[in-house]
Amino acid sequence: MVATVLRIRFRVLGNTLAANPWQLVGYILGGVWALAVLFLAVAGLVAVGFAGLEPTRLVITAAGGVLTLVWVLAPLFVAGVDTTLDPQRFAPFPLSTRQIMVALAAGGLTGVPGLATLLAGVGTLAAWFHWPVALITAIVCVPLGVLVCVLASQLITALAAGGGGSRRTRELASIAIFAVLVLAGPIAVGVTQLARLASTATTPFGGIAGVIEGVSWTPIAAAWAAPGDLASGAVASGVLKLAIALATVVALWYLWRWSLVQQIAHPAQRRVNRVAAGTLGWFGRMPTGGVGATWARSLTSWTRDPRYLRQLLIVPLFPVIVLFYSRFELSSPFFAFSATIVAFLLGVVPYADVSYDGSAFATVLQTGIRGRDDRLGRLLGAAGVGVPAIVVVALVTVALSGRWDLLAAVLGSSLGLLLTGYAACAVSSALIVVPVPASGDNPFKRVPGASFSMFLSFFALWIGTAILAAPEIVLAIFAAVTGDALLGWLALAVGLVLGVVLAIVGVAVGGRVFDRNGSVLLQRIRSFKGM
Amino acid sequence: MTTPPANTPPLPVPDAPAGDASAALVLTGLVKRFGQKVAVDHVGLSVPVGSFYALVGPNGAGKTTTLSMATGLLRPDAGTAVVHGVDVWQHPVEAKRMIGNLADGIRLFDRLTGEQLVTYTGMMFGLPHDVVAQRTADLLALMDLREAAGTAVVDYSAGMTKKIALACALVHAPRLLVLDEPFESVDPVSAANIEDVLRGYTGSGGTVIVSSHSMDLVQRMCDHVAVIAAGRVLAAGTTDEVRGSETLQDRFVDLVGGRHRTEGPEWLRQS
Repeated sequence: MVATVLRIRFRVLGNTLAANPWQLVGYILGGVWALAVLFLAVAGLVAVGFAGLEPTRLVITAAGGVLTLVWVLAPLFVAGVDTTLDPQRFAPFPLSTRQIMVALAAGGLTGVPGLATLLAGVGTLAAWFHWPVALITAIVCVPLGVLVCVLASQLITALAAGGGGSRRTRELASIAIFAVLVLAGPIAVGVTQLARLASTATTPFGGIAGVIEGVSWTPIAAAWAAPGDLASGAVASGVLKLAIALATVVALWYLWRWSLVQQIAHPAQRRVNRVAAGTLGWFGRMPTGGVGATWARSLTSWTRDPRYLRQLLIVPLFPVIVLFYSRFELSSPFFAFSATIVAFLLGVVPYADVSYDGSAFATVLQTGIRGRDDRLGRLLGAAGVGVPAIVVVALVTVALSGRWDLLAAVLGSSLGLLLTGYAACAVSSALIVVPVPASGDNPFKRVPGASFSMFLSFFALWIGTAILAAPEIVLAIFAAVTGDALLGWLALAVGLVLGVVLAIVGVAVGGRVFDRNGSVLLQRIRSFKGM
Repeated sequence: MTTPPANTPPLPVPDAPAGDASAALVLTGLVKRFGQKVAVDHVGLSVPVGSFYALVGPNGAGKTTTLSMATGLLRPDAGTAVVHGVDVWQHPVEAKRMIGNLADGIRLFDRLTGEQLVTYTGMMFGLPHDVVAQRTADLLALMDLREAAGTAVVDYSAGMTKKIALACALVHAPRLLVLDEPFESVDPVSAANIEDVLRGYTGSGGTVIVSSHSMDLVQRMCDHVAVIAAGRVLAAGTTDEVRGSETLQDRFVDLVGGRHRTEGPEWLRQS
């Protein structure tokens, strides 16, 4: 049965890649990258083995922990990894939950990341090779460690896909999980720094050794730490960590089983939310016509659709991340300029805005709306949320840092960047559509068909935005460096004027592209699955 | 653009004459290829003003593709679509103002409530707010959706979704209604109500073109019919002309072929 499922999975992958040459290129590049990383990892493991037992223990424990974390987080961040094996598609077949789980786990293990992890795990044997006890233990521990990775990843996927509950609850829950995970990185860094401060640098690795020692008792690294402990004679702690690893696998298995049963047995229940008739929301407030209608629709999406809300999370989260990385120095100019960085990220968020319409884009096209009206409506909708958000972030971070002298520079560079980003998106979203979760789907659902060329075009757009907004950024930087208030005000003036001019140009150019290209966009959207 | 490439076979049906002033919709030599497959192969149709015109054909015949090209959603490889004398692909804005379109298999902006969705569509056509409000109320009543006016369309059943999409297609009072599978999964009561409205609409000079699989419905409702298979028009004319002395169902099977009489494989029989 497992063999059949795996055969289908590789057949689907093969067919997908054969149909999409760019995806094949992306897949091959991914494979080459994995091989390169694997080569470096194994070379490093061999080298560290010669450096002695203590460094080997630390490095393998730390690397194992990081690897596990990546597996846990990847399903939430990486789009388009693997949706060929969706548990709910197994539901009509007479398979036991256990069979489905084995098939899914085998599927996870036989993908590029799974194989790379397995090989890297085997690579640790090259390092343990110097200590027979460690080598023998590792033969048990490596499979355990790899299993923890695969099972944890599957568990997170199942949890993120969500079973039961109302649509709204599920959506909010997944956004909350996302927020916690985004902050997990900075929190870990903060904890590490505290640990570093607390411990004295007696070992070759400084205070970090203490942290790794602590982490080695947690489920994410126990399997990778056990061989080293046993080899160094710490039999009790080695055996205990082995037990922790075993318990982790068992616990993950049952948790996963529980969440899968929830998911299969209680798929996406509907609890209907309704508002009173006559509640028109933004549609009652905006002027009639293509611009007003699109504006109201776009604003409704930005304020209510979880797929948009998810992208707005960077607004509150990013300043916090900057604060962590600037080591809680509130007065640091980096923190005061958080708004600029947020604007840089937020401005290019709608780079393929039409994708989120899905096939409902047909209802836009069939009204015969002029391209410039559509572009302007979408830009105003995005700006209706983006501009206040940036102003609030700028005011709050500047107030917290007390650098009121920088306010003009911060506002100028951030609003300029935001508007420039929107201008670029007005053009790009008339050209590009990407596969995104359909309306009503989990906003974190992994969507097949994202290709390497899409990432490239996004990246190019980002660079282009930065170049176009260079005048106000440079002025703002000079204002911060020299402390010259005039430069700050100049940055504000240049940012606003240039931003607005670019936005107008973007709407005009994007509108013409849209008029010509609209039906092609629709055709491409309809070629994506489930839109 | 209208010149067919040299490698296409001779036309099975003469392309309909262009520029017919009495026609609501004239399709001339429409062609669409998807890779190697020719989905629509020189389709020509002339839909008279005030007619209730049916487009019938087996699955994959090219009905939806033809209608997409006729309404400006899918650019044809060759051929033209003209609505009341306006070329859909030369003057899309003017042409689309006259078309009300219910496309099959597309989503709506389903985060909006039914009322918001109809309002939004009216605004897209630039109708004043008070007109939109009045028409939205009328359409929701007509579609038996007043109860669900404040419910997000995503929470509608399939039939309710079809009805709200139809309301959106009607809100700007189009001269030509293009309805792809309008009665699919709509309950019988609502279907009868909608049927009455469409009859009144054609009676007052509006034109309806529907695609459907239901021959009974077509025979009952439509005065004109075109049979399409494998991207070509096999027969077109008034319903009586096309069916002759047979029922439309029998005539359809004659034209399209592929009917076989069997009770299914041995292993599927339960006794």
